[in-house]
Amino acid sequence: MNKKFAFLALVLVIALSLAAAAPAVRAQDKIQLRLLGWSGSDAENKALNQVVADFNASQTEIEAKFEPVPDYDTVLQNALVGGDVPDVFYVSVQNFPTFVRDEVLMPYGDKLDNVEDFYPALRDSFSANDMLYCAPKDFSVLALQINTEMFEKAGLKPPTTWDEMKAAAKALATDSVAGFVLNPSLDRFAAFFYAAGGDITNADKTEMAVNSAENMAALEFLNSLYSEGLAKTTADANAGWGGEALGKGLAAMVMEGNWVEGFMKDSYPDVKYQTVELPAGPTGAKGSLAFTVCYGVAKNAKNPEASIKFINYLVGPDGMKTWTDGTGVLPSRMSLAEGFIKQFPEREVYLKSAEFAHGWGFAPGFNQVETKANEQLQLLIAGQATIEDALKEIESVGNTVLAEANK
Amino acid sequence: MTAPSVTMKRASEDTARAKNMQEALAGYGFISPALAVIVVFIFVPMIFAFIISFTDWTGLKPVNEAQWNNFDNYRKLLFEDHPNRDDFSRALKNTAYYALGVVPTQTALSLLLAVIVNQKFLRFRGFFRTAFYFPSITSAVVIGTIFLWLFNRDGIINRLLIGISGGSYRPVTWLNDLNGVIHNVFKVFGLTLQTAPPWMRQTEIFGQSIWQWLSGPSVSMLAIMILAIWTTSGTLMLIFLAALQDIPTQLYEAASVDGANRWQQFRRVTLPLLRPTTFFVVTIGLIGTFQVFDQIYVISSGAPAGTTVTIAYLVYTTSRGAASQSAATAFMLFVIIMFFTLIQRRLMGSRSW
Repeated sequence: MNKKFAFLALVLVIALSLAAAAPAVRAQDKIQLRLLGWSGSDAENKALNQVVADFNASQTEIEAKFEPVPDYDTVLQNALVGGDVPDVFYVSVQNFPTFVRDEVLMPYGDKLDNVEDFYPALRDSFSANDMLYCAPKDFSVLALQINTEMFEKAGLKPPTTWDEMKAAAKALATDSVAGFVLNPSLDRFAAFFYAAGGDITNADKTEMAVNSAENMAALEFLNSLYSEGLAKTTADANAGWGGEALGKGLAAMVMEGNWVEGFMKDSYPDVKYQTVELPAGPTGAKGSLAFTVCYGVAKNAKNPEASIKFINYLVGPDGMKTWTDGTGVLPSRMSLAEGFIKQFPEREVYLKSAEFAHGWGFAPGFNQVETKANEQLQLLIAGQATIEDALKEIESVGNTVLAEANK
Repeated sequence: MTAPSVTMKRASEDTARAKNMQEALAGYGFISPALAVIVVFIFVPMIFAFIISFTDWTGLKPVNEAQWNNFDNYRKLLFEDHPNRDDFSRALKNTAYYALGVVPTQTALSLLLAVIVNQKFLRFRGFFRTAFYFPSITSAVVIGTIFLWLFNRDGIINRLLIGISGGSYRPVTWLNDLNGVIHNVFKVFGLTLQTAPPWMRQTEIFGQSIWQWLSGPSVSMLAIMILAIWTTSGTLMLIFLAALQDIPTQLYEAASVDGANRWQQFRRVTLPLLRPTTFFVVTIGLIGTFQVFDQIYVISSGAPAGTTVTIAYLVYTTSRGAASQSAATAFMLFVIIMFFTLIQRRLMGSRSW
C-alpha cells in the first residue's frame, strides 16, 4: 500500500513540475499572434505569408502566423464564443455592423499610423459610433471585362451605355457564347440600380429605398437581357464563375472585380480581354460597387498592443505594397495609388471606378435581406416573379430587418 | 420453531437484495462510459440549445450576456408575418416534398433489391449485394461531388438524354433550375404564374401562397433526391435482406401447398412478416430525410433561389449571427420528426415495437 502511494505521489510530482515548467518555457518565447482569415487563391496566401514573414523578421518580441480556414464565418463565430479568440481576424464589410452591435470589436482606429491616408469611403465603411473600429485591408471594385477579340472581329467598341451594351450582347451572342455572363444577385445588380439613380436603403440606412422607379428601370433592362437570351447565369454558360466564362471564351462580357485580373494572368494568359468602366445608366450616371475587408481585433484581445503593432505593419506602406503587388487587390491607402497604377496600368480602371462606386454593408442582420433579394432576382429571371413583386418583397423583408436593427 | 425460519428468510432476502444491488451497480458501471458520452455530447447541448432558443443570443457575444426574449423566436417562426416564418415555411415545404419523394421510393426500391439478391437461383449474388451496398459506404461528400459532374449542364446525364431523344431534348441545367416539378406539369396544361388565378397567387397560408405551396420539388432538388435514393437504398436493402432470411421456408412451403402463387406468397407471407422491418425502414427514412444536410451543403448550398434549403440547412445558415433563432428552428424540426414518428407508429401498429 505504501509503495503504491509513493509511486502515485512521484507521478503527481513529476506531472505538476512538468505543468509548472511549461509556461516558464513559453514566457521566454515571443508573443505569438494568430491572424485568422479565409483562404484565398494561392497567390493571396503566398503574398500574405510574405508580409507576415517580413513583419516577423523586423520584430524581436512578436511572432505572427497567418491561419487561413475554410468556412470562415463558422470558425470565427466558434472562436469568438469559445474563448479561443484569434488576435487579428478578417471582418468583411457585410459582417461589420453585426460585429459592432454585438460588441465583438475593439475600436483601435486612433492607434493607427497615418489614418488620414486611407480612402474616406473605406474609413466610413468601418466606422460606427463616431469611431474607426478597424483598418481597411484593401478593396475591390466591379468593372466590365470584355473579350477584345470578339469585339474587334465584330467591329464594336467597348460599351459605354446600357443601349450599347445590349447591342453588343446581341451582336456577339451565339449558341456557344453568351453576350453577358452574370449571376442574379443583389451585390451585382445593385451596380445597375445606382447607375439608374436608384438606391438600396435611405442615407442613414434606417429604411429601404429599393422599390423605386429607377430600380424598376434597371431591372427591366437586366431582365430583358436574360429573357432575350443575351445574358446567361454562370451555370447556364457552363462556367464556375464569370472569370472562367471569360477565360474559356464562353462570354463576350462579364462583370467582375479586380480579382479577375490575377486569375486571367495565371490561368488564361493567352485570352485577349480588356477591362472598362461599367456602362452608364439612362441618365448618364455611373455606378459600381466596392467591397472591402478590415483587420479586426477582439474587444477582449489578449495582446492588443502587439496586435495593433502587427496591423500597423500589415496596412502600412511596406506591408500593403507587398500585399497588393502579390495579389493585385487595390491598396486602401491613397498614397500608394500612384505606384500601384505604374505597376499595374491595366488596373487603373478599377481605381477610377472607385470614385463612383458605392460601399457595401448596411445593418446588423442584413445578410437575410441579401439572401432574400438574391432569391427574388433569381426567380425574376426565371420568370417566376414579376419585377414589381420582387422589389416589393425585398423592400418588405428589408424594412422588417432594418426596424429590428434600429430598435 | 417459527423464529429461525423467519430470520433465515430475512437473511436470504438480504443476500438477494445485496446481489441485486451488486448486479445493478455492475450494470450501471458497464453503461457509464456510453452514458457519459451521451450526456456530455447529446443531452447537455440539447438542453443548452433549448434554453437559448428563448433568448436573443446571436452567437457572437458571450452567452451570459444574452437576454430572455420569451417566445420571440418562436413567434417570428410560426405566428408573425415575418421573413423568418417565410424562410421556415419554405424550408418545411422543400423538406416535405423531399421526404414525400424519397421515403416511399427508397423503401420500395430497397425491398425490391433485397428480394432480388435473396433469390437462390441468382448467380453472382455476392457481387450484386456488394454492388448495391457500395454507395452507402462511400462518403456523402464524394458522392455529392460525383453527382455535381454527372448533372452538370455538359454532364453525362444530359448527354445521355440528348443521345436517347435524338437531339430533341433541350439540356436542363439540373443543379440551377429553380422551377418546381409540379409547376412544370402545370405548364404543360398552360397554367403558369402569369395565368394562375388570383386566389392561387394571393392567398397566403403560413408564409407561402397556394401557388408556391404547389410548386413541388425544384428540378435541382429532384437531382438531389435521386442521389439520396441511390445512396441509402443499399443500407436499407441490407436490413430487408436480414429480415427476409429470417422468414422460415416452411411458411412458403405451406403456402405453396395451399396453392398460393409467387405473388400471393409475397403479398400474403413476405409483406406481413416484414411489417416491423418496414416500419423501421420507413421511420429511419423519415428521420433521415427530415434531417438532410450534407448533400445539400455539398451540391447546392440551398441555391437556386432557396429551393433546396431544407430545415436542417436553414438551421445551419441561421446559426451564424442568429444562434437563438437557429436553436428555435432546430426544436421545431425535433417536434416535426416526433410528430411523424408517432403518427406512423399509429398507422403501422406497434405490436412488436
